[in-house]
Amino acid sequence: MFKGNTMFSYGYLALVLVFIYLPILVMMAMGFNESSNYELPFRFSLVWFEALGSNDALWRAGRNSVLLALMNTAVATVIGTMAAIALVRYKMRGHIVLQLLLFPPMAVPWLILATSMLIFFFYTGIGRGLHAMLLAHVALSLPYVIIVVAARLQSFGTELEEAASTLGATPLQTFFRVTLPIIAPGVAAAALFAFAISFDQFVTSYFLSPPGVTTLPVEIYASIRKGFTPEINAISTIIITVSMVLLLVVSRFYRFGGAR
Amino acid sequence: MTRWIAYGRRIVGMMAGLAMLGATSVAVADEVRVLNWKGWGTDEAWAVAEFEKQTGTKVVHDYITSFPETFTKLRTNPGYYDIVVLNAAFVEKAAREGLIQAVDPAMVANSADLYPDMRDTPQLNFDGKVWGIAWVWGGTSVTYDTEVFKTPPTSLDVLWDPAHADRVCWRDNAEDSVRFAALALGQNPDQPEDLDAIREKLRALKPQVKAFWKSGDEWLKLVAAKECDLSIVWTNNTEAAAVQDNLPVSFIVAKQGAVAFRDGLAMPTNPPNAKGAYAFMNYLISKEFYAGWVKIGGAPVSANSKAVEELPDSSLTRQVLTQPDAIKRLNFKGPLSDEERQTYLDLWQETKAYFAE
Amino acid sequence: MAREKRRWVAYGLTVPSYLWLAVTVFLPLIVMLYFSFLSKMPFGTAEPVLTLKHYKSFLDRDFYHFLTWRSVKLGFHVTFFCLIIGFPAAYILARKVHGRWREAILLLIVLPFWSNTLIRIFAWTMVLRTNGLVDQMVHAIIPGAPSVGILYSYPAIVIGLVHSFIPYMILTCYISLQAIEDSMIEAGRVLGASSLSIFWRIILPLSLPGVVVGVVLIFVPVVGAFMEPRILGGRQSIMLGTVIEDQFTEVFNWPLGAALSFILLAIVMAIFAACYPLLRNRMKLT
Repeated sequence: MFKGNTMFSYGYLALVLVFIYLPILVMMAMGFNESSNYELPFRFSLVWFEALGSNDALWRAGRNSVLLALMNTAVATVIGTMAAIALVRYKMRGHIVLQLLLFPPMAVPWLILATSMLIFFFYTGIGRGLHAMLLAHVALSLPYVIIVVAARLQSFGTELEEAASTLGATPLQTFFRVTLPIIAPGVAAAALFAFAISFDQFVTSYFLSPPGVTTLPVEIYASIRKGFTPEINAISTIIITVSMVLLLVVSRFYRFGGAR
Repeated sequence: MTRWIAYGRRIVGMMAGLAMLGATSVAVADEVRVLNWKGWGTDEAWAVAEFEKQTGTKVVHDYITSFPETFTKLRTNPGYYDIVVLNAAFVEKAAREGLIQAVDPAMVANSADLYPDMRDTPQLNFDGKVWGIAWVWGGTSVTYDTEVFKTPPTSLDVLWDPAHADRVCWRDNAEDSVRFAALALGQNPDQPEDLDAIREKLRALKPQVKAFWKSGDEWLKLVAAKECDLSIVWTNNTEAAAVQDNLPVSFIVAKQGAVAFRDGLAMPTNPPNAKGAYAFMNYLISKEFYAGWVKIGGAPVSANSKAVEELPDSSLTRQVLTQPDAIKRLNFKGPLSDEERQTYLDLWQETKAYFAE
Repeated sequence: MAREKRRWVAYGLTVPSYLWLAVTVFLPLIVMLYFSFLSKMPFGTAEPVLTLKHYKSFLDRDFYHFLTWRSVKLGFHVTFFCLIIGFPAAYILARKVHGRWREAILLLIVLPFWSNTLIRIFAWTMVLRTNGLVDQMVHAIIPGAPSVGILYSYPAIVIGLVHSFIPYMILTCYISLQAIEDSMIEAGRVLGASSLSIFWRIILPLSLPGVVVGVVLIFVPVVGAFMEPRILGGRQSIMLGTVIEDQFTEVFNWPLGAALSFILLAIVMAIFAACYPLLRNRMKLT
């Protein structure tokens, strides 16, 4: 490995990171610009952050988003982990069926999933709202949860679990004392993904949100299309900063490198 | 194990929170829900604050970017809205579909001051009932950049002038597109005789159009970013951009004419807060509200004969739109049948697809 | 007996997932298929009848074909650029960068997942527009250059979408690349293979599952994209996705929207079917 090669490698990664972060940084900077129409030259101001304080709609949407993401994480992680265990540990006969079931949330464009749910929920009385969005988000998260947890389960043999049950542990005891500690990192990663999928999910929320009940992405899209001020930049800056800090904290406990 | 039960309890608690959140959003005591364009008067911060101070009623908004969207929202959210702002030409259609209910003008004291011809128009009065309160009227016309044009253009042909290629910001709306093409071709904008010619005229815009806009705010940001020499836009938005944002824009009523609209305030069927809706309607047509709107700049023309005095002679609206010879060239929108609307929509979508080729 | 019991436990564990996906995916898709044959919205006093007219209007109108092609083309373009930019990045990360650097860079790449796609798309409007960041940079380097506002164009849509989907590609490629054992590459080298043929005959085939998953995860949502084209595309914004969105939010012609959705779905499935022989044996998810 000669030096030029390494420099090229790091240079390339740096360029990719610039591509990913440049617009985000510009967007953050514009939140501190005085002009409501993003006119330059740049004049530093905190007016948009102050205005944000009294923007009830955005705060309500933000609260909905967080609540929904937490609920989604809880539900999707629990039922997804259950399915993953059945798939890997119980060698389920119907597991091909489940694989087929898992495929659609990833292989059908979100737009189509969302509009079909809108029709179905609207005409069956399930209706729209946070509960409908929760239904949708969990469906979209399940494949990811199952795949991540199943991968973790597969990388460990069944010896420990068998030993536990030989020693007289009930299946539940075996699960909580043996299996769960082993797969905990996989479950944690799955939970993080489930949170991200819900928090960032726009398409299904958009079609399933009745007036007055929105999430952040829906509220932001409505603002972009119907009229907005750099308050959008201000709230985005806050979201990105908070999620960065949270993720950095989490990453201290869980290694993303998948170090083997 | 007990730890997991505790987690379970927390999850159940959170679900309860979620359910409660849903419940509170349905039944907030005293608020009026308005369905309107964003930045179209009813959501002015000072007005909403003033109305809340006077009556204790909060005003909340849901926004649309076209009247078809208004209809979709009324259909899919029955019993949710209290007031809907509707083009007078669409009121009858909304009533026939059962989307709005008749209003009682006696509950809107200020309606006595409305211009009789606007108040009593058959578009708002039919079947022996009143279906909407006349509110304002305004125009849709050609707006130009005053730094680019030293003398204002006079003809719609300027929109097709290669000198302004890639500099036209066009309203993304099937009806307005057809109407302006018809005006430019000398056809009747309400009943165009030759749709093929209109299709060709719109296609000829391809090299000209920089961007389409749907909301007034989108247009404002385009202008602020110096993307447009010329626009098709509502005249009061132009005035607001000039007065409130100091942007170099003004508008004309071209020799071929311009489009105009009358907006009314209607009441969706089974509103949750009819009393609040009447109170807010009464406030919206008051002289006081209009004076405030004029003061910030960019108000359309009030239907209230007493309020309209507030519109100063120096305003662009007075100087351009309401000049006697200009008024003669305005074409107030009439109703369209569902078939006509579908034809226009198909034509416009086809044209946009052609633009993207 | 025990086996019988194990089977019931397994069913019990999967039932919630089955039920959930049935209510959110399968029943809705079936109902939507039915809807696409209705003449009009079953609403108020309307009495819809079964008809093929929405499918027929798709066949009859050239602009629908054009828009479908546009949406598929957008899917190809975005996926292609994600792949040629993302794969090398994943390769470098997996094979050339180690230790804390690798972890840090990987974290930076996945971090945007936890922000907000919409915000990131919106951010590009400020970078690409006339007098925006790119324009100002060009002018700083070449004074007097014509303005380069590429906002409101097809390339702007592609840039925005590549930006929001590239972390998927880097991540999926990285996972399969870092799973390749060094010993395999060593073996290849010992047997005298050149770097290029090691790449083509060992690394690429072994990383293919990651590439395929990345391609699927990107291509599928992009084909149905409507928000990104609307925000970045200007007069180029019209796609099959935006037309479908209009049918649901504006025009209130859900049956037509449903028919267009199924046509789009059929095309996506046809593309997968065409690629299936290529991918067989590589799509083992569990």
